[in-house]
Amino acid sequence: MKKSKTMLRDILRLSVTLLLITGMMAAVLAGINQLTAPRIAQAREAKTIAALSAVLPDAEYAQKRADFPDATGLVSEVYESEQGYALKVTPSGFDNTITMMVGVDRSGRVLGVSVISHTETPGLGAVSAEDTPKGEAFRHQFVGMSGTLAVSKDGGNVDALTGATITSRAVTAGVNAALACVDAMN
Amino acid sequence: MDFKKQFKEGLLTKNPVFVQLLGMCSTLAITTSLFNGIGMGLSVTIILICSNVLISALRKVIPSQIRIAAYIVIIAGFVTIVDLLLQAYLPALSESLGVFIPLIVVNCVILGRAEAFASKNGVLASAVDGLCQGIGYTVALVIMCVVRELLGAGTFGGGILNGGQGIRIIPEGYPALQLIMPVGGFLTLGVLVALFQYLMSRMEKRKKEAAEK
Amino acid sequence: MAHMKYFYELTVSSSPHAHSPVTTRTVMRDVLLALLPALLGAGYFFGPRAVMVTLVSAAGCVFFEWAYRKLMKLDSTVWDLSAVVTGVLLAFVCPPTIPYWIVLLGDLFAIVLVKQLFGGIGQNFVNPALAGRAFMFSWAVHMSTWVEVGFRNGLHIFTTPDIVTAATPLAAMHQGMMPQASLWELFLGNIGGSIGETSALLLLIGFAYLLIRKVISPRIPLAFMGTVAILTFLFPRGNDRLVWMAAQLFSGGLVLGAVFMATDYVTSPVTKLGQTIFGIGCGVLTVVIRYFGGYNEGVSYAILIMNCCVMLLDRVGRPVKFGAPKKEGAR
Repeated sequence: MKKSKTMLRDILRLSVTLLLITGMMAAVLAGINQLTAPRIAQAREAKTIAALSAVLPDAEYAQKRADFPDATGLVSEVYESEQGYALKVTPSGFDNTITMMVGVDRSGRVLGVSVISHTETPGLGAVSAEDTPKGEAFRHQFVGMSGTLAVSKDGGNVDALTGATITSRAVTAGVNAALACVDAMN
Repeated sequence: MDFKKQFKEGLLTKNPVFVQLLGMCSTLAITTSLFNGIGMGLSVTIILICSNVLISALRKVIPSQIRIAAYIVIIAGFVTIVDLLLQAYLPALSESLGVFIPLIVVNCVILGRAEAFASKNGVLASAVDGLCQGIGYTVALVIMCVVRELLGAGTFGGGILNGGQGIRIIPEGYPALQLIMPVGGFLTLGVLVALFQYLMSRMEKRKKEAAEK
Repeated sequence: MAHMKYFYELTVSSSPHAHSPVTTRTVMRDVLLALLPALLGAGYFFGPRAVMVTLVSAAGCVFFEWAYRKLMKLDSTVWDLSAVVTGVLLAFVCPPTIPYWIVLLGDLFAIVLVKQLFGGIGQNFVNPALAGRAFMFSWAVHMSTWVEVGFRNGLHIFTTPDIVTAATPLAAMHQGMMPQASLWELFLGNIGGSIGETSALLLLIGFAYLLIRKVISPRIPLAFMGTVAILTFLFPRGNDRLVWMAAQLFSGGLVLGAVFMATDYVTSPVTKLGQTIFGIGCGVLTVVIRYFGGYNEGVSYAILIMNCCVMLLDRVGRPVKFGAPKKEGAR
């Protein structure tokens, strides 16, 4: 009887100590969160606008659409403005998913393509996201295209990056998903 | 307390990366540009000092049965604070280090020093230990970064100098890209650990010879 | 103490007392001779540049081996010819258009980081030539630029040619389609590919020579190629089974890898059972990478991965000491 009593006291002491430490850290975290939350939200918004403005001329006026048709399952966000749409798509590349933004005008033509994040092979697939002449030329070739696209190896007219057919196919698949989505919305 | 000894231990004889081989996950993953290395090193140093101080201050309050749980709560708290602050004030660094900032929670350097040092020593000594080990960790990361960035990407100071592009030293198309890929982390670390051990053993030998004379 | 004088005059040495004339050098010389037909074939298929790349690579390996041993004040091991073999094999797994400076960096990596840092010949845990090739994928564009058949005469020795990428038979097969080249061409080697890997025929001549000279046992190559044959026969991806199997066997670096790389004494198991499992493992991984991987070819990575398992494979199939308790023998 006595033994179980001391055990109970021990357990209580341990849990209360841990609770106090956890509570203290939680309180500090709550304070820091209060302090930083608005700034973090601001930074995120700025990032989204920057990504949008790369593919949409009037990005400041873009509104996020709550619902959109997505037959491919690759579209994660859709923004709408007067000029057209900007769609965040996530096709799977060579290594992992590529997150990219595709701008499409109201008549279903590509306005621009920009890669937000990726883990493609440096020097090969990663060129698709780089701000180098090669990377820009690769992304720029999509502008004005419409319908269903394919890389030239698969019978289309998208020029693949040297040594990075899989990445090129992935980016093309992302653009296709965006075009299909806009087509379904119109 | 011997500041000089602690400093030497953190930087050389007990260097967290090259000798204790702690915190390998982030060491291998993020050391691709100078910006990353300095950012990660400083983040870990700050968290290490804070957690060392708090754990040392509470070392008589925390019962030994639940000490690991308590340490992790404290470390996780500081990591989250740093994570939030980086997201708010240095979004570029936060993005570049990505998931490896939250993962500092399980960085063995921090738990290792809490268990090995802070739980047995006073507040001031623990703070100094955190600082010295943190500097040792940062220096190791920076060396890794400089080697991998130079040989793998051909630049120096990526993320900081020359508008974030880094100063190009090896022309494009020539650097060995494998070195900034994951495999390059293992290669560089292996070679650096070997080199470090070689230099340390030579230093030891010289000291012995000098003592014999 | 006068008798001590006679004592010293006795020659005392520990066993072995009988020496075999087989040394590392004779083994390596035989391997080089076995590689010779494939080298001549490379010269015929891809022109003089292929031979030049091979020579440069061999010279580079020998130089780095010599320089490292000299720098570290160690005995020179250049004359055991192992560095020459590494250099030739490294060149054999590169495209004929590879720039010379990349070959030399591959040599440096193979000899210094993979071989010498671990203690030199006999101490490396992966095949130096294949590890060098993996490292050379730093310059992936150069490593995956292939010349078309018939272009061979245009390859100048000194310039790095600027050529449009041509598809190798493996690229087509990676997609599950039969290559354009006929089986006969695949067997002879009149196809695009790495310098020394294209001709199954010439490599098999080398294989026969090595078997006759008893330099290697056929166990690993047969287990390796047999596994690939069985798997490709069972899963022909919609093609004619036998033709598909033959095409898989004769294309890419399979014969080169199975005969000359998987059999490397240092990086393959010593026991018979271990060697069989090693070969089967290489075969399974090759097919898995060829079918499902990002790269077209899986032979080199299959061998590298199995190299890393040798430490474990050496524990299986050890002969049991006579009279030893059963349990210990099984361990």
